[in-house]
Amino acid sequence: MKYIFSFLILFSCSFVFSQEKNQGILYGNFESNAQWYLNDKINEREIRHPEDPIRSNNYLLLNYSIENFTFGIQGESYLPNALLNYNPKFNETNIGTYFLNYKSKKLDVTAGYFYEQFGSGLILRTWEDRALGINNALRGGRVTYSPSDYFSITGLYGRQRTGFDVANSDIFGFNTEIKLNKLLKLESSDLSLGLSYVGRNEETNIPNPNFEDLTNAFSGRLNFSKNAFYLSTEYVNKSKDAIITQSNIDNNFIKPGNALLLNLGYITKDLGLDATFRRIENMSFYSERKPDLYTDGGGSSSFNYNDKILNYVPALTKQHHYNLANIYVFQAQQKVDFPDPTILKAGEIGGQFDIFYNFKKGSKFGGKYGTKVALNIANWYNLSGDYNYFPGEYDVDFIGSGEKYFSDYNLEISKKINDKLQGNLVYINQYYNKRFLEGGEIVKANIFAAEATYKISKSKSFRFQGEHMWADADKKNWAGATLEYNLNQKLSFYIWDMYNYGNDDDNYKTHYYNFGGSYRKGASRIALNYGRQRGGLVCVGGVCRFVPESKGVSISLSTSF
Amino acid sequence: MKFYLILLLFIVNVNVCLSQTEMPNLSISTITEEKVNLKEGFKETDKIYVFSFWATWCAPCIQELDALSESYEEWKEEFNLEIVAVATDDTRTQKRVKPLLNGKGWDFTVLLDTNQDMKRALGIINIPYTIVLKNEKIVHIQNGYTPGAEDELYEKLKSL
Repeated sequence: MKYIFSFLILFSCSFVFSQEKNQGILYGNFESNAQWYLNDKINEREIRHPEDPIRSNNYLLLNYSIENFTFGIQGESYLPNALLNYNPKFNETNIGTYFLNYKSKKLDVTAGYFYEQFGSGLILRTWEDRALGINNALRGGRVTYSPSDYFSITGLYGRQRTGFDVANSDIFGFNTEIKLNKLLKLESSDLSLGLSYVGRNEETNIPNPNFEDLTNAFSGRLNFSKNAFYLSTEYVNKSKDAIITQSNIDNNFIKPGNALLLNLGYITKDLGLDATFRRIENMSFYSERKPDLYTDGGGSSSFNYNDKILNYVPALTKQHHYNLANIYVFQAQQKVDFPDPTILKAGEIGGQFDIFYNFKKGSKFGGKYGTKVALNIANWYNLSGDYNYFPGEYDVDFIGSGEKYFSDYNLEISKKINDKLQGNLVYINQYYNKRFLEGGEIVKANIFAAEATYKISKSKSFRFQGEHMWADADKKNWAGATLEYNLNQKLSFYIWDMYNYGNDDDNYKTHYYNFGGSYRKGASRIALNYGRQRGGLVCVGGVCRFVPESKGVSISLSTSF
Repeated sequence: MKFYLILLLFIVNVNVCLSQTEMPNLSISTITEEKVNLKEGFKETDKIYVFSFWATWCAPCIQELDALSESYEEWKEEFNLEIVAVATDDTRTQKRVKPLLNGKGWDFTVLLDTNQDMKRALGIINIPYTIVLKNEKIVHIQNGYTPGAEDELYEKLKSL
């Protein structure tokens, strides 16, 4: 590894100085996130730092592109250990991914590691999310052929990345996209069709298995739009496979899975309406059925780190940017999960509805600069039907809602008040069935937040955000505030605090304060932060990672070149 | 430690020597689900393309696009300019892109970078992130957004 870097240092400039036309370009990025964990005392509670108090996650991505070829390599270094609660398999310095790609107008061929998504990702998505410690790229080969602008076809084979190794199974994939409107010469509307297949072949060591080594998943999609109206739908089916109970393959609980997604919308000037319905039944899909178990970290499994995950089932709810609105975050319930005889889940059903509206400048509600309003409503339920805890069995209704998991009703109003001042107001009502989702009490919460950005001069500005959450259970009430000061385009400072003043247990009445700053120039950024991290879920794109409560100093550095 | 030193040397070296100067050879989807090649689709001579990477859940990105939207008409009169808003939303939030554009009254060209292929190919780590392209060369990059950054961008556009 080190030799590779040394080699690159020696030769990177020669690449560049010889960078005339057709000599290719070298580019990539570097990111480092380091944290120094400290001991902490909160009232009577003590939080000890981990054994290695200084930890860092580092990534160096290098791509070299010449003519139709691109070669890429990503080195990763978790020194001396990964940040707290990352996948324990990220534990060394090594090459994470590499690829060689050839791309012409009609042909796109990749050998090595690649990222891919079929449709909305319900049967296949491989991607990288460093904040969550996800890199589930496939290592193998992929060919995409696009003979015309209305037809493309992809075939792939690979083994999925897990840590610095690959999973012990073979993944096959096939995808095609057809633009029917071009084929049928429909002038004023847009119509496209997508079909996908993903096969996972994992030999099982279970004696007399009641399921096949090969699990097949199919997806069919249709997109249609005409003038202001659009509609898309996807149906997914996964062949019969064993259910995982208590981290083990249950050879007597064999079920198929399926999903239905329907989205429609209407857009016109200053107005956007969008509605989504989704039903998911038994759609957890991993490159290895049985999770790896870890003895440290409280008996976690690779499922907790989203390791070896093949598909992407995001929670379809609004992703809020306010701190307190991210305490009770819904995660999609795609798996069959029977944690105890009173909590029996086979999937989820529900929907989301959005309205975006722009009150024009000069109108009654628009005022001088216009007013923007966004309303979002989301409701999610368990599937209704007959369930049996032991032996595990269920027979669920196609349409019908069981126990409510989650709802979020929220309204956001943003308004420019004058040339200097911009304001935002948001109200959020949440229902979080913690009992069904992670164990605990049902929480009903109301959140109110206000935000103001004030421009002091051409480049100086500050932003203030105040938030309050009224919750009737669990950790109860919180208050929060953020102050951000932008000295210029490059330098910013911030301080924020979230105070769980309503907690019934005095020892848990905690201030989660943070302050720090960042300096940005061109494609580079450095940020320094000191503070206390709230324990809980860190979520990006509806996928979450649990982080423990901690205090410390963190530094992050990133640059693209 | 040695590793860090080598890395640091390398980064300094690379940064001094080069930076990405061109668009990657990649096709991504427009909001109307047409594929556009980044090398081929944005190469009109002397036209300025401003690529702004955003997501529906990214508050500073929305602030930036609101600010650009206000000046867009005026800027277009002054320069041969196109603003391209690249939505990095994955399928969790991608369906909210279209209605949000309308609810905001934005008039940008919009690309959907659903599995972040474009973001990755340009080595982008965090959004908001803005790239200015002219005559097939990347001439300016700014990461992050603070109020007033649009004035600085305007000055930059004038100097091109």
